[in-house]
Amino acid sequence: MSNQNQDRLTRREFLKKSGIGAATLVTVGWPIDGSQPTATRTPGSDDAQAILIDLTRCTGCNACTLACKVSNRLAHPDVLAKQLDSDAYTFVDQRQVEKGDGQIETCFVKRQCMHCLDPACVSACTVGALSKTAAGPVVYDAHKCIGCRYCQYACPFGVPTYEWENALGLIHKCQMCVERLVAGQQPACVEACPNGALRFGKRAALLAQAHAQIISNPERYVDHVYGEHEAGGTSVLYLSAVPFAGLGLPELDPEPIPHQAEAVMKLTPYVALTVASIATALHWILQRRELKVDTGENQ
Amino acid sequence: MTPHITTSREQFTVVSIKASEAVIGLLACLTFIGLVAGLGRLLLGLSASTALTDGYPWGIWIGFDFTLIAFSGVGFTMTAIVHIFHLKEYQPALRPAILAGLLGYSAVLVLLVLDLGRPDRFYNFLIFWNLHSPLFEISWCILLYTTILMLETCPCLFQRLGYEWPVRLARKSVVPVSIIGVTLSTLHQSTLGTLYLNMPHRLNALWYTPMLPLLFFISSMMAGLGLAILTYKVATRVQGKVERSAIVDGLGQAMVWITILYLLLKSGDLWIAGQMPALAQDRMGFILMLELIAGALIPVALWLIPAVRTHRLGQWMIPLLILAGVMMNRFNATMIAQALPPGAAYSPHIIEWLSTIGILAGVVLVWYLGVRFLVMAEDVECQS
Repeated sequence: MSNQNQDRLTRREFLKKSGIGAATLVTVGWPIDGSQPTATRTPGSDDAQAILIDLTRCTGCNACTLACKVSNRLAHPDVLAKQLDSDAYTFVDQRQVEKGDGQIETCFVKRQCMHCLDPACVSACTVGALSKTAAGPVVYDAHKCIGCRYCQYACPFGVPTYEWENALGLIHKCQMCVERLVAGQQPACVEACPNGALRFGKRAALLAQAHAQIISNPERYVDHVYGEHEAGGTSVLYLSAVPFAGLGLPELDPEPIPHQAEAVMKLTPYVALTVASIATALHWILQRRELKVDTGENQ
Repeated sequence: MTPHITTSREQFTVVSIKASEAVIGLLACLTFIGLVAGLGRLLLGLSASTALTDGYPWGIWIGFDFTLIAFSGVGFTMTAIVHIFHLKEYQPALRPAILAGLLGYSAVLVLLVLDLGRPDRFYNFLIFWNLHSPLFEISWCILLYTTILMLETCPCLFQRLGYEWPVRLARKSVVPVSIIGVTLSTLHQSTLGTLYLNMPHRLNALWYTPMLPLLFFISSMMAGLGLAILTYKVATRVQGKVERSAIVDGLGQAMVWITILYLLLKSGDLWIAGQMPALAQDRMGFILMLELIAGALIPVALWLIPAVRTHRLGQWMIPLLILAGVMMNRFNATMIAQALPPGAAYSPHIIEWLSTIGILAGVVLVWYLGVRFLVMAEDVECQS
């Protein structure tokens, strides 16, 4: 009998402690849903700054890529980049595209960070080193980065690049010359373009202009502004004479990429609470049964 | 001094002692080479020591991380069975299992530090929070859960050393610690699947599904139970104890039912997503078929045949096949089923192989020594 009492005491203690454990998890988990995280994401709006790239005006002169390297103080300004890397935040891709009449034509496609309205890299970043600013640019805080490279997987455009040669490397990407924007200037690439292929302004205004151009020159443009809806919309928009599928720009759903993962991540505190409660309840019920069986056997 | 170690030694034949010492020597050599390779990686940087590129930023280190975390599900699965479901008859299988879990997570931490571009800042996730990020949650859970596993494993050492009060404390706190451990495991085992939800453009549609968090959680239990059977079987041999067939049977049965659940969910999901025809189409379809048939369907089928289930060889093969299936799944998700940008290729660097093999060898070595020299039976009293 005294044995049983002892068991009861321990059980009560167990329960109390498991209750404390569950409560701790809930309190730790709770802020996830309610308050804003430290790495705040400001979903981009039409009011934010954007760049409209008119590919029909691009001659592939690379004035933009050179200006980018100079402005961002990147290495090897004399080398023309063939892809994005830690020394090239933008490059001019060359694509052979078959036009309607069977002729092959070279298309120049300037590539850089698309500054998504709801960027997957920002959502994915372990330490919140990437963030979407209200002004438009997706910026990178090098001091936070741990070099996990998840952003490289989350980005549908293959934009973030890693500094592989450096023993303590970091991520590199276009930040829309955010410091120049603060100083009231345009991004370096836009300012450098001699052909008017790059235009800088409010996203809504640029979209309106792009659609107006398509309507007034239907023979010059395909009826599609790339970036208007792709991956929930981007702050870099493209106009083109040929369909975008042949230009290396990925076909993407209008649903922002981070939505699915974020919907699951929001459940975290509830999952924790549910699992901890079920485990505590199971423990309680099953231990009672175990004790009853024990006493039954003793009698 | 210790009665059961003497017994185990007595039961070792001279041949098996020599063989086990040769294996220990080999494992120690591999671990040493691995540590040197790992140090080389830290000094040289990623470009000189890995084959990773912008087109292929995660390699075998991440593949083994994901596999090891799934396998280390052995810890939470067994603590749940013994301390939450109160199935005390599985107690003898508990300690070898949680020791394997602790070592698995420790290996993951080492591999992650090697893989990080800034290993000097590995602690940054403690300071800078991004609650949207699956990797943020995973990092926290792994850190906290490794601590929990240390608390769960420490009586093995304290009982051997004869410290009484920490063992008493550990016994008193075992239930809350188990509940927290199971909760943390549920969170991060599933979040490893959530991690891929941010890659719809990269992960092949045969693997990509909103169900990934659930599938990852369930398959971690499959792997956990599979490894629990193996660690129990090996531990009884190392300690010269008699294997209880009821334990192997029970764990195997749980593993098979969970695998059946996994197969039903996965095939139902493929069917609803209209991906069934894609299974028979290209290379990716073949790879998924291989993963599901060799790693889940065949072990289930083998288990359902009583002659195989009770056969000595069958009892090793069935959990091994399940573990192979979960390993294939994690490698497919991290590497093989990922769409590559044009021109991207990856063939692991020798340093990646040596460091990985070294860490795995270290895990096996420390586990073996732990099972041999620490207290693996719950009911052994402290020797003071």
